[in-house]
Amino acid sequence: MNAYDGGPTAPAGAEHPAAPTPPYPGPRTGVAALSLRYQIGAALAVAVVAITVCVHIGMVFLHVAPPNTVTKKHGKAIDDWLYPEFEQNWKLFAPNPLQQNIAVQVRARVRTADGYIRTTGWQDLSAQDGRAIDGNPLPSHTQQNELRRSWDFFVSTHGTDNRPVGLRGALAETYLRHIVVLRLHRADAAGKGGILEHVQVRSRTTAVPPPKWSGEQVSATPVYRELPWWSVPADEAAR
Amino acid sequence: MNRLSLAISAAVARVTESALGPYQTAVIRIGFTVTWLLFLLREFPHRQELYGPDGPWDFDLAQQLIGTNGSFTALMWFRGQFWFETVYVLAVLAGVLLLLGWRTRTMSVLFMVGVLSLQNRSIFMGDGGDNVLHLMCVYLVFTRCGQVWSLDARRARARAERTVDRTGPVLWSVFGFALVTVTAAGRLDGDPTVPVILWGVWLAQALWWLVGRHTRTGQSRILLDVVANVVHNGALLVIMAEACLIYATAGWYKIQGSRWQDGTAVYYPLQLDSFSPWPALADLLSASGTMVMLVTYGTVVVQVAFPFTLFNRRVKNVLLAVMIIEHAGIAVLLGLPFFSLAMISVDAVFLPTTFLRRLGGWAARARAGLLRRFPYADRMTKPSEPRTPENPEHTHVGFPA
Repeated sequence: MNAYDGGPTAPAGAEHPAAPTPPYPGPRTGVAALSLRYQIGAALAVAVVAITVCVHIGMVFLHVAPPNTVTKKHGKAIDDWLYPEFEQNWKLFAPNPLQQNIAVQVRARVRTADGYIRTTGWQDLSAQDGRAIDGNPLPSHTQQNELRRSWDFFVSTHGTDNRPVGLRGALAETYLRHIVVLRLHRADAAGKGGILEHVQVRSRTTAVPPPKWSGEQVSATPVYRELPWWSVPADEAAR
Repeated sequence: MNRLSLAISAAVARVTESALGPYQTAVIRIGFTVTWLLFLLREFPHRQELYGPDGPWDFDLAQQLIGTNGSFTALMWFRGQFWFETVYVLAVLAGVLLLLGWRTRTMSVLFMVGVLSLQNRSIFMGDGGDNVLHLMCVYLVFTRCGQVWSLDARRARARAERTVDRTGPVLWSVFGFALVTVTAAGRLDGDPTVPVILWGVWLAQALWWLVGRHTRTGQSRILLDVVANVVHNGALLVIMAEACLIYATAGWYKIQGSRWQDGTAVYYPLQLDSFSPWPALADLLSASGTMVMLVTYGTVVVQVAFPFTLFNRRVKNVLLAVMIIEHAGIAVLLGLPFFSLAMISVDAVFLPTTFLRRLGGWAARARAGLLRRFPYADRMTKPSEPRTPENPEHTHVGFPA
């Protein structure tokens, strides 16, 4: 398994002259230098580590593998072993890369300083993120992940009727509201002395146009998903 | 039968007598810490929005979610600005010291605490790159990743005879105090994984120090060394297996996708607003359908094939080079520099020792050249004395390497 030491087919000794010079040469180490009593201790250590390593690799394998006979039977044990610290997802752009641009847009009902209620136009927050990423060699997580993943989180914890499912649904809703309110305040949407009373979020999904050379056709008409108006708590309403 | 038992005893001798892959573990230590440090530096202006108590994923939201999964984050120990800024700075500091390999084991634990604290505080901010760092910072704790290219290694070389180590016990006491306090305050009551690691390393260091004090060459000292080697080699295997599982998962799931089958998949991410920092360049690259198909198929082939090429050194090295180049491309084209850097660091665990030693040689020469140009910096370097074979003292008195 020591890939860098060469597999069985590697020319013998090709890399071995360079193989690890023990950085701390000392008296003979390893099990050979131990008396029987200590050798038993070492054997125990080898066994414990070997078992732990095998179990861990096996658990990670089952965690990333598609649902199967074993995961159906022992799903709970696998989750208990891996969550929360070893959770992982490597379906990178798989099975298919996302073929839609999903833009999150927001508008607000604002009470202006002189008491009028005004409804703002839709602001495309994803487009703002996109512009911040354009020509940026080091996009920030705040531009690339924050809104995008917050929307994914919202969608995955809400039914098609936009009602939250469980605690995570409620968390997702508050999180998304915090983000849009933060962005609205940054754009000074409420104006001087004004407060945000309500906000409304919608998503605009547009199919990525297929490559010119493919000859495929997809509809360029965007699909909207509009959420209900949410009231903004007093402590978030002003800047 | 005889052959089998010979093979087994040879394998046992191998994994017990040394911590394998000293250069590979050192290079991933450097890779992950550099990735993390650059990330923290880049996000410094955005740190409040990402992880601060009043960011969009605020303290209350985090508390409710962590209440359900029990993940570890020191940021939830106290509310407030001061603690948040302290943790951020400590995360940077632990990263720098682990990069330099100063008290490597202790710093690897602090590095893990830093990474987990920030990432678990706001899990919806991360991407695949964060996920890689999250896993690797835990695995790194179990390795002796400071055997080469570290201040620890230099200290071990320079120390001709046993000197009393004062820093080690002081560090140990400070962290012990912190650990006891935090545990007594009930802040480690969530998932047991991280608390077990923290307590385990702390107790192991005490044991290492006590045994080292009484006997420097005795049996118990060698046994501890054997255990540390076995744990290191196990962790190294886990790191390599994890890398293989990442590529295998990424590859095999792609095979099932219609876009990866029809050879257009690579075109699509380049058209997404979040992953297209250079639209003109992306258009240029996706102008030819044949090119896109070749890259699409090539990506799948490389990812699926990689784990199997480990059995052939030459093929493995070729594929490794291809993957590192592809990740460098992803860094620029998809605007994912930190993800790519993390993946390149993972790839580095498979680099051949000869190459890494050459790399180390270049770095040393570059450094010497710089020092000649700026001689005043010379006082920073001490002449390193040759190793003394009589000195079984490891890098860390009181700190099992």
